[in-house]
Amino acid sequence: MSEHDNVDLKPTPGARLTKFFKRSDVIQSTIFGVIITLVFVILGGKFYTQWMPTIMSTDMKAIERLMVVFTWIAAPVCGVVLGIALYTFLNRHSGDTPPPDGPATRTNGPVVLGWSVVTSLLALVAVIYGITEMNSSSIATAKHAEDAMVVNVVGNQWVWSFEYPELGVQSHELMLPVNRPVAFHVTSVDVNHSFWPVQLGVKVDANKLAETLADTTPTKLGEFDVKCAELCGLYHAYMETTGEVMTKADFDNWVIEQGGHTA
Amino acid sequence: MTTLDQHVGTRPIPNPKNSLITRLNAGTGLIVGIIFAIATYQGLAKVLDTSVYHLHNQVLLATMFMWSIGFLVGIGAFIGPIRWLIGKDLTAEEQLYMAGDGQGIKRYFKYCTDHKVVGIQYLWGVIAMLAVGGAMAMMIRTDLANPGGHFITPSVYNSLVGLHGITMIVALIIVATGPFGNFIMPIMIGAADMAFPRLNALSWWVLFTAIPVLCSAWFLGGIPTGWTAYAPLSIQAGPGMNAFIATIIIFAVSTAIAGANITATVVTMRAKGMTWNRVPIFVIGATVSVALAIPAFPTFMLSMIMTAMDRSFLTGFFDANVGGTGWLYAHLFWIMGHPEVYVILIPGVAIIMEVVPVFVRKPLFSYTAAIVGFAGITGLSILVWAHHMYISGWMPMLNGPFMVTTEMISVPTGLIFLVILGTLWNGKPWLKVPMLGVYAFLWNMLVGGITGLYLSDVPADMYLHGSMYVTAHFHYTLMGAALTGAVAGLSYWYPKMTGHMLHERASYISFWLVQIGFQILYLGMFIAGAEGQPRRVVDYAEQFATSNMVSTIGAYAIGIGFIILLWAVIHSWRHGKIAPMNPWGAKTLEWTVPYPVPLVNFDTPPVVTSDPYGYGRSAK
Repeated sequence: MSEHDNVDLKPTPGARLTKFFKRSDVIQSTIFGVIITLVFVILGGKFYTQWMPTIMSTDMKAIERLMVVFTWIAAPVCGVVLGIALYTFLNRHSGDTPPPDGPATRTNGPVVLGWSVVTSLLALVAVIYGITEMNSSSIATAKHAEDAMVVNVVGNQWVWSFEYPELGVQSHELMLPVNRPVAFHVTSVDVNHSFWPVQLGVKVDANKLAETLADTTPTKLGEFDVKCAELCGLYHAYMETTGEVMTKADFDNWVIEQGGHTA
Repeated sequence: MTTLDQHVGTRPIPNPKNSLITRLNAGTGLIVGIIFAIATYQGLAKVLDTSVYHLHNQVLLATMFMWSIGFLVGIGAFIGPIRWLIGKDLTAEEQLYMAGDGQGIKRYFKYCTDHKVVGIQYLWGVIAMLAVGGAMAMMIRTDLANPGGHFITPSVYNSLVGLHGITMIVALIIVATGPFGNFIMPIMIGAADMAFPRLNALSWWVLFTAIPVLCSAWFLGGIPTGWTAYAPLSIQAGPGMNAFIATIIIFAVSTAIAGANITATVVTMRAKGMTWNRVPIFVIGATVSVALAIPAFPTFMLSMIMTAMDRSFLTGFFDANVGGTGWLYAHLFWIMGHPEVYVILIPGVAIIMEVVPVFVRKPLFSYTAAIVGFAGITGLSILVWAHHMYISGWMPMLNGPFMVTTEMISVPTGLIFLVILGTLWNGKPWLKVPMLGVYAFLWNMLVGGITGLYLSDVPADMYLHGSMYVTAHFHYTLMGAALTGAVAGLSYWYPKMTGHMLHERASYISFWLVQIGFQILYLGMFIAGAEGQPRRVVDYAEQFATSNMVSTIGAYAIGIGFIILLWAVIHSWRHGKIAPMNPWGAKTLEWTVPYPVPLVNFDTPPVVTSDPYGYGRSAK
């Protein structure tokens, strides 16, 4: 953020930089910026892990990590923007007449260029990281595709139904065996719904006469919520059910209880 | 325009006694509109059986469009073209009369071609829409204060969500370009009026006819679809959906007219010497915004025409049973929907950029970067629409490319931050109410931008899509950034529009209540979203109780804050401190004209020799 060089003696760039960082406004803005960056780094580490639900699948783990890393990428940006804003806010002019004119800085080529390069690089990091995450999850899916258990999910105003074609079971609760990849084949019989097993970190729309896919591997035992994330009419809010990730043995027992056959 | 110019000096008292235009106003418009509507409904109901779903839709849609046309006939919108067609064009006196010369408050209820009158009409139209939309938001938050609360039924709730959404979207699209784009912008560029004054009046009154149509949705069973109106839910919806469709189509016509008019004005009517690099940044922002609306809204209109055909003629564009698909609707909608958020945002940003130099007394930092930022956002905004459809299952292969284009938008957005920060740097800001808006804008836009980064990312969006997190994110950008910019613009230009200063203490109190309430409201909503609460739900599980309660408290603070602002606007209109000609010491042209602004704005056309940001002690 260098500008306003009122130095006539043409000092070396190093000397100019030293002089720049000795200005009280620069020091104060920098201190504010560093503090704000640290606050965001700490918040980034805490906020999502605090509020997001239990991680119950590989996908959910990747998502939470991604939220944290993105907050860290954004933290220095917040530091720069808010550090400068806070300094000028505290250094305000009060009174009923306009303040005296500031320096007539029209632009500063290196600053504009530097800012553009840095924001582009940050965006590039975010893009590369996102694409890597996206691909690694789909590669993992492809690897497990063969032994994935198929669950046909049907959205119907305002009920979810789950069918396990290989096991001959139908249910309104989503039971899954732990550590086994599962492929959801999602469709709807009426309007658009969005299939959202919250703690599993996957979501895909249910469209009439079309089949959409989502897949994940549950990694933790326990109950989870299944919701609808697309406004689907009157009782959209109540279109929810529960599911459970169970051990292989418990799952097999459940399948037999439901009148199905284990593979 | 020449006919008006000839009368500047002498200003004869217009006396077009025998002309029809003297007898027409909004009242006659209402009467003719209602007659048209009733006649259409009664006539069609005789031939078509209104108990049949699609025939009923035909009748209702026809009634709504005929109301709109009837109102425009009744207010005299077509007198000019008809007189021209029959070879008796309006006389100079009649044109002067149409501009509302010397008619006091009556001209605000007429088909008035004066851009300043149209600006005030837009201002009150926007205030009314924001008030209604805000009241709906308060009802939504009241319902959501507690889990299991039965304050309103699911049916009413869904309607409220849809009506709140579309009312606020329409209001925010015109919140800056309507009032300030019409009142201030022509003066800012040194023009005597808009390029097409009659089209200007038309754009407002066409929009006006959409308001009763939208209100009628409430009495026709509401809009159960949210403002996105996704098919096939919209096909399944009841008769209230017709009101939504008609509103959008009428609104699209209005924005097309206004967009063409504003663009033409800026391109052709700038003062002598106002080259492109001397145009005030607000004018650039408003022009970019309406120019972006010109390609965007027709697809919205098209999607609504197709929905209307599916509903009225059972065509099945979006019906999977006969080979249609809801994905088609989603595409048409978001091809409009994403540029549309920048149509809303850019004028707000431009107002902020107009305000900063004045209150910091420094030139706008890197005018070029501002232009490049606007151009970059505008260009990229038409390439990102499918990021709303990552999880729709439509084409997962294309999620990657859309993610790249979306995240690229952070670069031009970064330039916008740079321009504002660079202007603040080394300055001592004069913290009047408009300047406070700049700080609120910076914080809100930062939060909105960063949360947008998570949402632009495919894996994260897999979790966040359709949750309260999304709702909080876009309220930060649309309300926190764009509306804050517009409110800053209101307090900045209020003296020029009314001749009085906006009540300062009230607007300070309002500012802090609104902004603090805003942070509380949406912090709660971000948490609810992260916890996994879907959006648009009338009820929720116990686990989200705390975050929702926090949100509701914040919402009430915002509500009270805006009521105080509304009081200040009404009170100061007549009783505020008399404003000097240039209360902020700004250098743009609108501050060189007195209040009330003369009919043709400038006694002598201004000549511009530099850009309006020549502040600073030592220009190098």
